[in-house]
Amino acid sequence: MAINSPHGLGNPTPTKLESPKMNLKTTSMNHSIEAEKLNLWYGDFQALIDVSVKIPDGQITSLIGPSGCGKTTLLRCFNRVNERYGNVTTEGKIEILGKNIYDPDVSLPELRKAVGMVFQRPNPLPISVYENILFGLRIHSPMRSLTRTESDQIVEEALTSVFLWEDLKDRLKVRATSLQLEQQQKLCIARLLPLKPKIILMDEPCSALDAKGTLAVEELMGILAGTYTFLVVTHNMAQARRVSKECIFMFLGELIEHRETQALFETPEHEKTADYVQMRYG
Amino acid sequence: MNSMSTRAERRQEFVLHSTSFIIFGIAIIPILNALKKTEATHIQVVSPNALSILLNDLYIVLSVGLLAILLGIVCAFYLEEWLPKTNWGRRWIESHVAILTGIPSVLYGILAISIFLSYAGTLKVIDDVPSAQNTEVIPFQRHTTLFLGEVLIFILMVMPVTIKTTQEALRSVVTPVREAAYALGASQWQVLMRHVVPIAFIRILAGGCRAMARAFATAALLIGTYIWHYTTETDGMSNRFLLFLGAALVLSVCSSTLVEIYNSIYNSNSA
Repeated sequence: MAINSPHGLGNPTPTKLESPKMNLKTTSMNHSIEAEKLNLWYGDFQALIDVSVKIPDGQITSLIGPSGCGKTTLLRCFNRVNERYGNVTTEGKIEILGKNIYDPDVSLPELRKAVGMVFQRPNPLPISVYENILFGLRIHSPMRSLTRTESDQIVEEALTSVFLWEDLKDRLKVRATSLQLEQQQKLCIARLLPLKPKIILMDEPCSALDAKGTLAVEELMGILAGTYTFLVVTHNMAQARRVSKECIFMFLGELIEHRETQALFETPEHEKTADYVQMRYG
Repeated sequence: MNSMSTRAERRQEFVLHSTSFIIFGIAIIPILNALKKTEATHIQVVSPNALSILLNDLYIVLSVGLLAILLGIVCAFYLEEWLPKTNWGRRWIESHVAILTGIPSVLYGILAISIFLSYAGTLKVIDDVPSAQNTEVIPFQRHTTLFLGEVLIFILMVMPVTIKTTQEALRSVVTPVREAAYALGASQWQVLMRHVVPIAFIRILAGGCRAMARAFATAALLIGTYIWHYTTETDGMSNRFLLFLGAALVLSVCSSTLVEIYNSIYNSNSA
């Protein structure tokens, strides 16, 4: 169970809260992201070429490939953060939870509320731990609609689900940027949870962490998968094998292979995949 | 950036720089004019209310300077947050801002003095008759066009500094912070008001202080020149001179202290 929310925002009824989980149980082959013929250009440079992909609901999918092959670009398409850089042209269709996110009537705040993102370097906002967790809710709800007890509860639940509550319960007023990197990264995951996202995108979430931090974040992902759909970009193939159920291999902007992780690593169908996963290069 | 510059961009740069040179060519004329007038001036007698007029003018000008700072901050927000980097207007303004901030305030002071000396041109002294009774002083009168010129100089001195420091302050709010907020679904306005402004506020304030210090220093320079040129009695005048100079000093110290505070808060943890 993720966050029980009495804050009057969205769908506070328990049945609706359970919905991602229940969807998963009843229709396990549902796809939460479906991209079709996705092309993307940065100016004249084509970064994604005809990418079509279906990301299954409620499990961890990893994206691997050499640097500059468009993994991060693809990831960023799914909550449209790419568009902030200007000079970006996108073509094609991405359906998230049955809705084309490039439709003109899509509201970006709502989309980004449903599709959370964790970045490569932990990027907590330079405010207190407490306010970091509440930031998402505060921007999506009218001013002063959260009472003190509600927000306390939300913070406690969010921190508990990422196993930070014990460490941080006495330090909630501490500036979030002063925490250890591992704690910061967990906090970045925790602050998504009060918004009850359906999908969590992760862009090399462990590359700035040490071995212990990596392990902790991976364990956390394992526990949260099922409630949320994870899409993880990683350079670390061992990590892809450890955490993900399905794996996508990309090369120079094209999607080469998308299969079950084990199959992809052990019996790659494509020559380029084989070269990469057997570490002949990259 | 250079590797990406095309022929068209280089042509644009050329146009930008040549317009800047032309503008500054034009700006030199009043300075030369001022120097010529300085030679010709030998008036020592001024009506007693000349000082109060000068001070009044300076107070008005300094308040205009304060408004110019606010305008500069708004302008910087617009340039930095809404206009794309490739926008022609933005690049034009930024290159001019860079040139104008590079000019030391003393040079603006000389420009301002040239205008004050033109004021002095309205003073006519009949000094061919040595008797004091025959000395006729036409009161120091406010000359609207010249006053506007003075205001313009102060704006020109204060605004570019404000725009530049504010832009730097906004840029100092690192991309990860913005990305984090955007990725949680914040709108541009929310990101600005809740994160960028609170973080950058100290540095924007520092920039404002710096701009105001410039204005005060120039004002002090004007009073100094006034003392040197027109009166032998320096009572009260030197007080004002020191007051303005002191204000300039305090403001510039404030500005650097604020930057230090900013660095100690936000740069200590970033790797």
